[in-house]
Amino acid sequence: MAAAAASSSSSSSAAATPQGVTERRGIPAASFVEDVETYLRQAGLDVNSGLAFLQERLQQYKIVEMKLLAQQRDLQAKIPDIEKCLDIVATLQAKKALGEALTADFELSEGIYSRAKIEDTDSVCLWLGANVMLEYSCDEANALLKKNLENAKASLEVLVADLQFLRDQQTITQIRLSED
Amino acid sequence: MQQGDGTEAQVTWEDQQNINRFGRLNNRLHELHDEIKLAKEANENLDDAGNELILSDEDVVRFQIGEVFAHMPRDDVETRLEQMKEDAAKKLERLEQEKESIVSQMAELKKILYGKFKDAINLEED
Repeated sequence: MAAAAASSSSSSSAAATPQGVTERRGIPAASFVEDVETYLRQAGLDVNSGLAFLQERLQQYKIVEMKLLAQQRDLQAKIPDIEKCLDIVATLQAKKALGEALTADFELSEGIYSRAKIEDTDSVCLWLGANVMLEYSCDEANALLKKNLENAKASLEVLVADLQFLRDQQTITQIRLSED
Repeated sequence: MQQGDGTEAQVTWEDQQNINRFGRLNNRLHELHDEIKLAKEANENLDDAGNELILSDEDVVRFQIGEVFAHMPRDDVETRLEQMKEDAAKKLERLEQEKESIVSQMAELKKILYGKFKDAINLEED
């Protein structure tokens, strides 16, 4: 993730220019061609292989797009989840500050609820994934969740920029296909 | 989205960038449609919840926070609900504004691109 963030920061603001950006996070930029004939001659391609190359590239872009869209959906689902967690931790802390107990109905199993009284609690357990749950103090949990939320939002932003870049490349490729 | 059969007009880098911009805006517009739909639903749900709260005569109501239903005094729920309603309304307004701005930018780009490429370019939805 760190490496990805580093490489994207350098190119995040750059729009694809004819000679400028050559790739973004491993996605090759589509080269823009004004004069098709000269391009083909220089690349030593005939019309058919030139077209085939573009078609193939377009397919590759589409596959990457599907991947990125799936990642985007995951992140978009994750963000409200984290916000919900933050909400309940804040509620616990508020109740504790008031010296009240939090009475809550919680789901035991699908459609079966039981009642719990949570008194004077200092800690919550966070599910970290991979079958690991760790107990945190409310403050720590709050900080960790906030950090996770920020990270998720930041990754989403990078991802959206990646998608935009990718779509630009698709558009360029499509235009070239229609021109050739 | 854009299929020109014409080779009459040369596509310059500037044109290409305009087309890219148009494509981006169009994508965002589709996303916005979904987001606005969701925001409207959220607004309606909150309104419903508010109405139910008025009808109910219980002093303590169960309010969903995270995955559990917390028992909360009615007044607290009312305040929280009002706050949530306000946030949701603001969000919806923000989305609507973004949509307007995108629609007008797209109209502007359409004028430029159609002006140059005439019917060699198609910027309409299928």
